[in-house]
Amino acid sequence: MSSRVMRDFDLLLPESIEETIALLARHKDKSAVLAGGTDLLVALKFDYSIDNVISLALVPGLDELDFDPARGLTIGAKVTIADVLRSQDVKDNYPALWQAAQVFATPQLRNTATVLGNILRASPAGDCSAALYATGGSLLLKNAKGCRNIDLDDFWISYGVTARCVDELAISLHVPVPAQGEKSAFRRMTRTTEDLSKINAAVCLQMAGETCHKARVVMGCVGPTLLRLPKVEKMLAGAAVTPELLRDISNVVISEIAPIDDQRSSAEYRNKVAGVLVKRVIEAALNAKENDQ
Amino acid sequence: MSDLTVVGKRVERVDVRAKVTGGAVYAADVQMAGMLYGKIVRCYDYAHARVTELDLSKAAKCKGVIKVLGPKDVTQKEYNGSVLDMMVSSDMRGILGDIDDQSIFTTHVKHYGDAIAAVIATSEEAAERAAEKIIVTYEELPVYLTAEAARQSDARQFRPEKPGNLAFQLPEMAFPDNAYAWGEVDKSFEEADIIVEDTFYVPKQKQCQMEPGAYIALYDDQERLNCWTSTQMPKLVQKKLANLFELPMTRVRINATVIGGGFGARLGMVLEPETCALAMAVPGRPVKVLSTREEDWVTSPSRHPGKYWMKMGFKKDGTPVACDAKFENYKGAYYMDASGTAFTTGAWLGGMYKFDSLRYRGESYYTNQSVCGAFRGYGNPQTNFVMEQMVDRGCAALGVDPIEWRKKWHKTIGDDGWCIGVPYNSCALDECLDRAAKAIGWTEKRAKYKNQTGTIRRGIGVSVMNHTSGAMPMLLEHTVCDALLHQDATVTLNLACSDMGQGSHTTLRQVAAETLGFPYADVHIAAGDTDAAGFDIGAHASRTLYVGGGAVKQACEDVRKQIFDRAALELGEAVGNLYMEDKVIHVKGASNKSISVQTIADQGVNNFMNPENGELIGQPGQIQGYASFFPPHNAPPFGASIAEVEVDMETGEVKVIELVNAHDVGRAIHPGIVEGQLDGGAQQGLGMALTEETYYDEKGICLNNSFTDYKMLGPSDMPKITNILVENPDPTGPFGAKGVGEAGIVPPVGATANAIFNAIGIQILEAPITPEKILEALAEKD
Ligand SMILES: Cc1cc2nc3c(=O)[nH]c(=O)nc-3n(C[C@H](O)[C@H](O)[C@H](O)COP(=O)(O)OP(=O)(O)OC[C@H]3O[C@@H](n4cnc5c(N)ncnc54)[C@H](O)[C@@H]3O)c2cc1C
Repeated sequence: MSSRVMRDFDLLLPESIEETIALLARHKDKSAVLAGGTDLLVALKFDYSIDNVISLALVPGLDELDFDPARGLTIGAKVTIADVLRSQDVKDNYPALWQAAQVFATPQLRNTATVLGNILRASPAGDCSAALYATGGSLLLKNAKGCRNIDLDDFWISYGVTARCVDELAISLHVPVPAQGEKSAFRRMTRTTEDLSKINAAVCLQMAGETCHKARVVMGCVGPTLLRLPKVEKMLAGAAVTPELLRDISNVVISEIAPIDDQRSSAEYRNKVAGVLVKRVIEAALNAKENDQ
Repeated sequence: MSDLTVVGKRVERVDVRAKVTGGAVYAADVQMAGMLYGKIVRCYDYAHARVTELDLSKAAKCKGVIKVLGPKDVTQKEYNGSVLDMMVSSDMRGILGDIDDQSIFTTHVKHYGDAIAAVIATSEEAAERAAEKIIVTYEELPVYLTAEAARQSDARQFRPEKPGNLAFQLPEMAFPDNAYAWGEVDKSFEEADIIVEDTFYVPKQKQCQMEPGAYIALYDDQERLNCWTSTQMPKLVQKKLANLFELPMTRVRINATVIGGGFGARLGMVLEPETCALAMAVPGRPVKVLSTREEDWVTSPSRHPGKYWMKMGFKKDGTPVACDAKFENYKGAYYMDASGTAFTTGAWLGGMYKFDSLRYRGESYYTNQSVCGAFRGYGNPQTNFVMEQMVDRGCAALGVDPIEWRKKWHKTIGDDGWCIGVPYNSCALDECLDRAAKAIGWTEKRAKYKNQTGTIRRGIGVSVMNHTSGAMPMLLEHTVCDALLHQDATVTLNLACSDMGQGSHTTLRQVAAETLGFPYADVHIAAGDTDAAGFDIGAHASRTLYVGGGAVKQACEDVRKQIFDRAALELGEAVGNLYMEDKVIHVKGASNKSISVQTIADQGVNNFMNPENGELIGQPGQIQGYASFFPPHNAPPFGASIAEVEVDMETGEVKVIELVNAHDVGRAIHPGIVEGQLDGGAQQGLGMALTEETYYDEKGICLNNSFTDYKMLGPSDMPKITNILVENPDPTGPFGAKGVGEAGIVPPVGATANAIFNAIGIQILEAPITPEKILEALAEKD
């Protein structure tokens, strides 16, 4: 049961990345990093193991949202969903991410919530996470011993669990330069518009004319983590994307997912609409006009 | 009435500045010296259990704790949080069978969130920490969540005086055969060419008012019990608390704080009994009790959910011959409004169409759900969901246009209203239907949406309703108003009517200014202190403007009459020869003879003798108007909604594209406020149709008592809305006004359901109509 009283914890306000890392090294699993706090503050109502909240508010050097046509996109740990939505570079080069940001919660939430927070929460419903899983990317983590890069493909382990070590700070996410002919899209379904996804999907397709060379297809809310759909990806790879192929894909999706009943929907419904959603998100990616949403 | 100067104008609302700037003082904002905090310990582990052991000792030793109270430490008197028993005569009370079955703290948990004990401490945090240290041991009991489960012969009995867990059915004495009925239904069905019949489910909708419960109570040095609460019904809660704590009314005072939304959730007592019990345990110190949203959800009443069966018969020419219906609601753990809603749900049904015969049965069953009580519409949205879908099914079978059928067969002036024996005295429903149909393009769209085949299909549906302005003659309707004329010729009204955001203090002020012939700025409304204000039933049943406005009008007419009488004396003219302009009273045809209201008002207060002749200057005595007003009727409002939806046949998702509401409001005292009521009502009506429902697991644990998983429509879900105000003045309402507080929620429910029916050719029998249910129904059809 929820409480009107915030539990006791120490709010730590480091002023540099080094200081943050030192605090993480000291407090380890008794601490949590606070970015936007839109997940963490909800969790704190129920989670009594966290005694130290390490806020990034005063830490410089984490605000970078930079696109370089040669290097790709860098998203710093304090970049908010609203920042992403304001970025023409993201809109032009990573439509799936931009679309996920567009439908993400409400303006108030978007001004606060961060993209990296969404990834670190490791929710199978994460919208930006789904989009980024489709485009691919790697996370830069840092602790007292040094830095490492970890691919998103290896990052989510199970519900709420990631490959991040308790003393690591996520510094930024790197998303590769879009490939030639890359098209991506994100779609979701919710109970009301401003809600968490009951099911979501993202695709990133490398197209050459009508033919798809390579595909990454991601679905959320159908397993303990976000899932890639390898069979669907294989069906797309090297194929002409025809209505028949889309119909076949739509029928295969159900064999790759394992949804459950919960407050947001039922396993049965998710199974029924998953194929439709994948078909539609592929169509959305392919039909997007230049500079269209 | 075109010469109205304040009525009909969009004046600035009296509450708007404080609310938008954060200046409004809600109960949670009230701070007092020496304030203590109460935390109520509730059972969140079981929906039905017996407390076998209660250990308060650890909590009592916690830091900051003043007192810990269990069931034995508070009054043993039982009560009924609802106020229905106070609105009927004592004879009727006996017949209706309302009982007191709630206690402040219980040893027999009957629903998720039932109260067990409480801690009083010096801070909210200390109280909450200590509450966690209270140890309760339970013996689990079987859980009954539905009427079907509760009436099983081996089910445990909630109350010995209510066998079969049947809390209420229409009583034989007032309703022969336990039915609200006319004609001979069984015989009428024999004449029917077409019969439609089905069983529906209507959901447990929550009011979702913005302000969660917050209360303060103080048993003061005069041994008076003071309670600060945002109740909708200060005077009845005053009396209820006086009864519960066995105090005379002069020793109970309600300070009504700004209400952050009501919708019925604050109709009677909610946590006032608990808060006052805590305060009585620590005389001289104010105790504040604040609810979390989750707690408010399961302690304040919800809409009555349940099974609703209906059967309708029509002749080939469309004549509605018979309607038979039964609503079995899942009442919840306590009696509350078991009688009221079970009756009115049928009353709205009876008030709508000219069936040759009709029979409605209403039954309320105890269940291990949180309590049900008043919620905007009071049974009407439930009836609308069912009745209007059945009518459309009938129309489809008859091959007639749903609007044409409704126009032909709805009840109108002279027909019995929702209460048999009280005929309608005004009705502009035809105009509502015509104007709504035109606004949305009904005929063209109805034709266009036939035989669609695509993935995305459109549908358009209509629904109508009748409601009421106050609950007369079923319930007491009475408001007292004082109008005090100050020496500067401004007026303060003193009355107990609440403004819960519906704008009543603004519209009442408009009625006063118009009646007095004064500017809007010259009137102030003082409300909220039960020491000062006379009787008022409270804000419910769309009554505040109609009945409260009637009282205000009468009290102000009294003031005006006294002013004119004095002016007549001063000017030496008959009252009939006088008229008022800009607060100056003139003699018709004699421009040089006049006296200002200001002079009369001032002389009434500051009255002196002329030292030369020993005569009084002007008329002595402060002018005060008074009304103890009982309305002559219930001025039923009518309304129609037409909704247009888009249904995705592959996902079952529904998008409401457009909603047109046309309401017979009598007169819009403040058009903006009426539109606000219709918009807000539509948000809740669409929500009931599409997304809103509180639900439980099989053990009775509530799974969505917060906004995380209870989904109301937000701004981006709302369709384009057009509100059409049909002004057809009611002969009994103040300036012709009817109540509009509840009407807006009702017809969007049926219109949405019918639009979905029109789009997909299937009726979904359970609300809310979710994509999950639509896909399931589509699959079954294939
Ligand atoms: C009302 C509401 C609506 C929402 N709607 C959506 C929605 O539409 N779609 C959606 O996907 N989500 C939604 N969310 C969930 C949430 O807003 C997102 O997951 C958000 O992106 C989290 O970002 P944050 O900055 O607030 O994270 P925080 O709450 O600050 O952190 C989340 C987690 O990540 C950890 N963390 C954060 N930053 C770092 C770092 N740099 N290094 C190491 N660990 C870190 C934190 O310790 C915490 O465990 C919603 C939440 C709310 C309350």
